[in-house]
Amino acid sequence: MKPARASAVVAVLFAGCAWGMDPQSAERGKQEEQRACLPCHSLRLIESQRLSVAAWGKELDKMERWGAVIKDRQLLLDYLAQQYPDTKPTPQPERSGDGTKIPAEAH
Amino acid sequence: MTIMLTAPVLARGQELITIPGKRGMLVHNDRPEDLETPLEYFNTWITPNDVFFVRQHLPRPKTDEATHRISLSGRVTKEMEFSVADLNKLPQYTVAATLECTGDARRFFRPRVPGVQWGRGAIGNAEWSGPRLSDVLKLAGGDTNAAWVTVNGADVGVAKTPDFIRSMRMEKALHPATLLALKMNGEPLPDLHGFPVRLVVPGWDGTGWVKWVTSLNVANEPDRGFFMNPAYRMPKHPVAPGGSANPTDLDVIEAMPVKSYITSPADQDRIGLTPATLRGIAWAGEQRVYRVEVSTDGGRHWQDAQLSPKNLPFAWRLWSLQWTPPQTGYFTVLSRATDSAGNVQPIAATWNPSGYLYNAIDQVGVTVEKGA
Repeated sequence: MKPARASAVVAVLFAGCAWGMDPQSAERGKQEEQRACLPCHSLRLIESQRLSVAAWGKELDKMERWGAVIKDRQLLLDYLAQQYPDTKPTPQPERSGDGTKIPAEAH
Repeated sequence: MTIMLTAPVLARGQELITIPGKRGMLVHNDRPEDLETPLEYFNTWITPNDVFFVRQHLPRPKTDEATHRISLSGRVTKEMEFSVADLNKLPQYTVAATLECTGDARRFFRPRVPGVQWGRGAIGNAEWSGPRLSDVLKLAGGDTNAAWVTVNGADVGVAKTPDFIRSMRMEKALHPATLLALKMNGEPLPDLHGFPVRLVVPGWDGTGWVKWVTSLNVANEPDRGFFMNPAYRMPKHPVAPGGSANPTDLDVIEAMPVKSYITSPADQDRIGLTPATLRGIAWAGEQRVYRVEVSTDGGRHWQDAQLSPKNLPFAWRLWSLQWTPPQTGYFTVLSRATDSAGNVQPIAATWNPSGYLYNAIDQVGVTVEKGA
């Protein structure tokens, strides 16, 4: 692959992973999100929102008061603010499959 | 350090989620479940249980009908416990009422606000059956001069999340339509809807309809927990969009405001150049729906829609309007409801930091084309 094309591919990957966040930091941010948030709720609740940096900061404050253990707050805030900013459209929620045939024991 | 997680980590689009007991729902959160009803299920006056929306703040508790108890305490002449069998022995009433999440349609606020990004589907209409809350309070000798009844359910906070506890004014607790519901649309309450017993507070926001009820406390003061204050309050005076509200300038949300949705066609649908039926729903908290007007030209002209016949307080009405598009092209369709007290949906909803009570005139865009 020619160097010019390789750098273009890298640039596309870079933009696709997180806006302005390098892929490794984005991956670490994702891991921090999973570690800090999943004990209490699914990530959908977070990733369905599009908020400003200030609003994400307030959410982290609230969750810390509610017992979330956030080890690297700046990393998580950067990740959320860059991955789920209020400049992006709010995504449509995914639709579930038919669960009416699932027996009650599966609850 | 690696933490082992018991729940599966599902990335968007990787795996189809199914919710036991529910048909296809719009999944905002799968743990705990926050599920929105797709618009196509709003074509019947009763919303079936298997598509009724679900909002949970905390993980769903396991409840057992045989051992479940509701305790009555506080300003009562005798503290009591009621089993489900006890509740079944009391006179049973059925009330048709629309249940709407306080944050229904939150996703339409600009600037955006945190919280579940509900579209138009955090609402449904059902027939709820069970004893009156007032009958249960009477049996325990509840002091009707006390101002509040505080209600807790079997769900508990995780980590340091506050417990979900709500208080309601005595006047509403004594209202004949306020029930401790055991049934929803003639069936035992589904787990996700509060089995075996939930509060039904017709006309009031969904937050007060406590599920899995375990205790009732008669008191002179409301509960001081998070879910009474500061949550589920509206600024008494409008704040600038994007601003914050003064914590001392908030009111508890009670009755829901007049509102309508266009449910068919959906926003950005394409339809043919043939006669069409525009459909929707309208509701008005504790009032009745008096009128629904529809515009197909962005509000230049309005026509009265036809309303479904049952004209009750607390329950929604379906509306419809026959429309023959005059030509192909893009049309902006609006709906605007008026309630029996003369309140009309506003052009702009009142922005507030938590995104409650969105009730602006509804709007969808429709492209009319030949052969669509």
